[in-house]
Amino acid sequence: MTVAWQGIRIKAHQLLRLFSLEVLLLLPFIIFVGLFEVYPILNMAYRSLFDLNGNFTLENYINAFTKPQFRIALRNSLLFAAAASLVGGIGGTFVAALAVRLPTRWRNLLLSLYGLPMTLSGLVVAFAFIVLLGRNGVLNLLVRRAFGLPPTVYFNLYDWPGIVMVYAFFQIPLMTLSMAAVFENLDPNLIEAARNLGARPWQVWRHVVIPVLLPGFLAGMSIQFAGMMGAFGTVLALVGMAKNLLSLQIYSHASESTYNLPQAGALAIVLITITGIVLALLSWSARRLARRGP
Amino acid sequence: MIRWILLVFLVLYILVPLLMPIIFSFSVFWQDILPQGFTLRWYEAILTRPANYEALLVSLTVASGAVLLNLLITVPAAYALNRAGPGWGQRLREGAAILPLLFPPLVVGTALLQAFTRPPLALTGTIWMVIIAHAILGFPFMFRIVLAAFQTIDERTLSEAAASLGASFWQRMRYVLIPNVMPGILSGALLVFAISMGEFEVTSMVAGFTAQTLPLRLFQQIRNDMRIASAITAFLIYVSFLSFVLMTYLGARMRRLRAT
Repeated sequence: MTVAWQGIRIKAHQLLRLFSLEVLLLLPFIIFVGLFEVYPILNMAYRSLFDLNGNFTLENYINAFTKPQFRIALRNSLLFAAAASLVGGIGGTFVAALAVRLPTRWRNLLLSLYGLPMTLSGLVVAFAFIVLLGRNGVLNLLVRRAFGLPPTVYFNLYDWPGIVMVYAFFQIPLMTLSMAAVFENLDPNLIEAARNLGARPWQVWRHVVIPVLLPGFLAGMSIQFAGMMGAFGTVLALVGMAKNLLSLQIYSHASESTYNLPQAGALAIVLITITGIVLALLSWSARRLARRGP
Repeated sequence: MIRWILLVFLVLYILVPLLMPIIFSFSVFWQDILPQGFTLRWYEAILTRPANYEALLVSLTVASGAVLLNLLITVPAAYALNRAGPGWGQRLREGAAILPLLFPPLVVGTALLQAFTRPPLALTGTIWMVIIAHAILGFPFMFRIVLAAFQTIDERTLSEAAASLGASFWQRMRYVLIPNVMPGILSGALLVFAISMGEFEVTSMVAGFTAQTLPLRLFQQIRNDMRIASAITAFLIYVSFLSFVLMTYLGARMRRLRAT
C-alpha cells in the first residue's frame, strides 16, 4: 500500500512539475498570439458594430449584404477562390503524383523547387508574369511573330482567367507539397493486396486509393480556398482596383481613399465567417470519409 | 520517357517566369522579344538612391526582428507542445495550424491597424508594428518545422536518456536537444526571413510612411520605372532562392539524422 501510495504521489508530483514547466514555456506564445492576434480581431469585431460617429449600429453588416458593390465583391471572391483552388488543387495533385514516381533525388529536387513560390512576394510574381505575358510580353510577341498576327491579338493577363493563372503559380506548388506527403502515405502493398484479392481497377480506386487520398486532398483544398479568399497583393499589382473582390474592398476601406475602418472590420468578419464555414464543411466531409474508410 | 518530359516542363514552369525579371534587371532595355545590352545600372539604383537604400535597410531590420521574435516564441512552444499529450496538446497543435487559414494576412492587417493606435501601445505606422505583423505571419511556418524537428529526434527518449545520465534540464537543452533540432530551427528562421523580405499585403496596411520596406518601394516602381522594379524583383528572388538552397541542404541533413 505504502509503495503504491508513494508511487502515485511521485507520479502526481512529477506531472505537476512537467505541466507547469510546459505552461511556462508556452507563455511567450500565448501572450504574443493573445495580444497581437486574438485581441486585435476581437477589437475589430467590436468596433465593426459602431458607425464613424461612435453610435451602435448593424449598418456595416447590412451594407455588406445589400450594397451592390459589396454583393458583387462577395460573389466574385467566392467564384475566384473556387476557381483558383480547383486549378491549384488539380494541378498540384497531378504534380505530386508525378513527383512520387520519380527517383528520390529528382523528387527532392522537384519538391524543393516547388517550395520556392511559398516565400515569393505577390508583387514579384505579378512582375514576372507582366514581363512574360503582358500585352507586349515575351510570349505574346513570340506567338504574334510566329503566326503573323496583328498586335490586337494577345493573351489578356488582366482579366479573370489571367489572374487565376498568375495565382496558380502559388497554388499549384502549395498543393504539390500537401499532396506529395499524402501520396507517400499511400502504401503500394495495400493496392497490391487488393489486386491479389481479385479487385478490379475501379474497385481498387474506389475502395483503396480514393479513401486514402481524399482526406489529404480536402485538407489541401482548405488551404487553397482560405488563402485565395484573403489574397489581394497580386491582383492589386496587376489591375489595381479595377476588379472587385471582397479582399480588395477590405484593403481599400482599411487603407485607401474610401477609408472606413468599421466597414472594413465588418467585411473582414464576413470573410472570416465564410472561410470558417467552408473549412468546417471540408473538414467534416474529410472526417466522414475517413470514418467510412477503405 | 513521358515522365522526364513532364519533369522538364514542370521545372521550367517555375524557372521561366522567375528568370524574366532577372534577365530584365541586367538588360539596358527590353522592348522586343530579345533584351538589349548588359548593365548593372538598375542594381546600382537600389544602393545609390536614398529611398531605395533605406527601404532595403528597413526590410533587413524587419526580417531580422521577425526572426528573433519567432525564435523566442516558437522554440519553447514547439518543445512544450511536442511533449503535451493527445488532449489539449493536440488541440493546440491543430489550432496553431488552422490559425493562419482563418486569419489571412489581410484580416490580421485590418485588425492590427486599429488595435494599437493609442499609448501605451501606439504601434500603428511604426516599424515595430511591421515586425510584429511579420512575426505573426511567419509563426505557423516556423512552428511546423521546429515541431517536426522535435518529433524527428524523438525528444522524449533522448531527454530521458540524458536525464538518466544525470543531466539537468538546462544541460539537456544546451548539449542534447538544441544541437539536435538546430537544422530545424535554422530552416524555420530562413523561411521566416524570406517570407518577411517579400511580404507586401500586411505591410502595406500597417506600415505608414515611416517603415517603407522594399516590396512597398517595388509596388510604387512597378507603376513608375519598370527597370528599377526589375532590379528589386530580381533581388527578392535571389533572397528566396538562397533561403531555399540553404533549407534544402538543412532538410537533407535532417533526413540523414532520421535515417541513423
